[in-house]
Amino acid sequence: MALRSAQGDGHTSSRWDGGAGKTDFDAKRKKKVAEIHQALNSDPTDVAALRRLAISEGGLLTDEIRRKVWPKLLNVNSSEPPPVPEQNLRQMSKDYQQVLLDVRRSLRRFPPGCLPCSSASLPAPRPPTGMPEEQREGLQEELIDIILLVLERNPQLHYYQGYHDIVVTFLLVVGKRLATSLVEKLSTHHVRDFMDPTMDNTKHILNYLMPIIDQVNPELHDFMQSAEVGTIFALSWLITWFGHVLSDFRHVVRLYDFFLACHPLMPIYFAAVIVLYREQEVLDCDCDMASVHHLLSQIPQDLPYETLISRAGDLFVQFPPSELARKAAAHQQAEKTAASTFKDFELVSAQQRPDMVLRQRFRGLLRPEDRTKDVLTKPRTNRFVKLAVMGLTVALGAAALAVVKSALEWAPKFQLQLFP
Amino acid sequence: MASEMESSLEASFSSSGAVSGASVFLPPARSRIFKIIVIGDSNVGKTCLTYRFCAGRFPDRTEATIGVDFRERAVEIDGERIKIQLWDTAGQERFRKSMVQHYYRNVHAVVFVYDMTNMASFHSLPSWIEECKQHLLANDIPRILVGNKCDLRSAIQVPTDLAQKFADTHSMPLFETSAKNPNDNDHVEAIFMTLAHKLKSHKPLMLSQPPDNGIILKPEPKPAMTCWC
Repeated sequence: MALRSAQGDGHTSSRWDGGAGKTDFDAKRKKKVAEIHQALNSDPTDVAALRRLAISEGGLLTDEIRRKVWPKLLNVNSSEPPPVPEQNLRQMSKDYQQVLLDVRRSLRRFPPGCLPCSSASLPAPRPPTGMPEEQREGLQEELIDIILLVLERNPQLHYYQGYHDIVVTFLLVVGKRLATSLVEKLSTHHVRDFMDPTMDNTKHILNYLMPIIDQVNPELHDFMQSAEVGTIFALSWLITWFGHVLSDFRHVVRLYDFFLACHPLMPIYFAAVIVLYREQEVLDCDCDMASVHHLLSQIPQDLPYETLISRAGDLFVQFPPSELARKAAAHQQAEKTAASTFKDFELVSAQQRPDMVLRQRFRGLLRPEDRTKDVLTKPRTNRFVKLAVMGLTVALGAAALAVVKSALEWAPKFQLQLFP
Repeated sequence: MASEMESSLEASFSSSGAVSGASVFLPPARSRIFKIIVIGDSNVGKTCLTYRFCAGRFPDRTEATIGVDFRERAVEIDGERIKIQLWDTAGQERFRKSMVQHYYRNVHAVVFVYDMTNMASFHSLPSWIEECKQHLLANDIPRILVGNKCDLRSAIQVPTDLAQKFADTHSMPLFETSAKNPNDNDHVEAIFMTLAHKLKSHKPLMLSQPPDNGIILKPEPKPAMTCWC
């Protein structure tokens, strides 16, 4: 309810695509490009500013900028030579067959006119011609090489179907050489949990989804619970960072800007925001697993991404992982999965001062515990309060700032390799 | 055991009747639902088979299925409107280990798929069957074995007699088919319709031919169902 009511601001997403206020748009864009370059050129690089710019409206704007900023967000030195394979990986790798099958079938991920690196791609409209077959096949070979190389160098990592959807995004934006380094860093950090021998930790992360929805919209949560829809409809969203399900490559890279700048759990908040945004459709659906799964797994292609990104940031601030961990644990009590790596997430989020401050500010208003105490007044009062909080954080723009800060505090660990 | 299936059918029946269907894709409420799960190794053609049955054609291109996809089609059997729900699962082992269990719940039938041009996919079947046994409470849920890609004649690695022997051992009927070959469309159709008839009538699978669509599925258990490509 709360999220839906703010839907009117959906037009923000079109502003960057050149809408009514063309001159305003151009000016803002120019200003943002300048800010990005300033952050890049300062010594040392102003990574905090880059994170903020990657999250804020429009993200990093062009692939040319992404090639410069993504390495900074991942703390990868782009001038270092990329790792090279020691042997013939295709003969050695146990994963080669599966990787080959998945990459061969991933034709859709090589969109028309998407020319990685070779052309310094400006935000010009992509040419309508399809990607030449020869070029696509070359990229598919490179994609296989990158995946096998990263797996070979990190034997603790296990390939999963969908990993190729993440790697291809990097390949298309930054080219093979840099993609290898970026993907290796990402695989040992952000998406590390998906690459365990089992998917128990992935399942654990999915268990955050329903508690987030419950916080904002208990009615929707209860409906989904009675439908027994589960959370697998969001699995491909999570483990491919939406690369598998969004057909427009521009939307994919925009989300990657956002996720690279944020806490590794941000994709699950974004998943929750999509479900919340579709509240009415869900509630109009038959209350059974098949209908709800079917509806939710078909992701609409015209989502107001900028609005949703800002809402995901809000939710992260209001209901940080540490708080949700308890609820997620309760949610999965029956299933009992390991949660070792989540200790780190909790530790990290406990140190997120900005969101602590924010939460303290609203503590008087927000008492989620009350829900259980007073069943009668539970949904309505809470949702009303949450709506108010949401409005406040959006208005103050505090959310984005807090997300940036939390990402920053998370970053030092990340650089010291303490993070799993 | 039969009563258990009956009751789960009943459950689907009443839940779909509870809220009137708002979606244009769904038939009117109160149609019975048959829930069928499709499993097998990666790249054997599970997505293509289910797509062929539900959309009536071979998909232009398919990608790896991540998690579980869902397709559905309404059919009419003996004047009764029935929804056939196909749950198309990921082939990679790690998915089925922790993700797929949820979808075994209240399943009315299981379709095991292997790739006739890939012996390894055939050799994986015992582990799929074993896993299925662990997930399903009822032992007598109808199960069928489908060999896909029979149109690739020159590349066939799994001979029919070997597959038939295996199917017999596990008391499953065997079908060899191709989701791709357009001339074979009826065959994919026939496989799922046969299964639907079986579910509707609770009679042994081999006896429940679709009487009205003119497809002849040999009822004799032997010799094996041959490839009708």
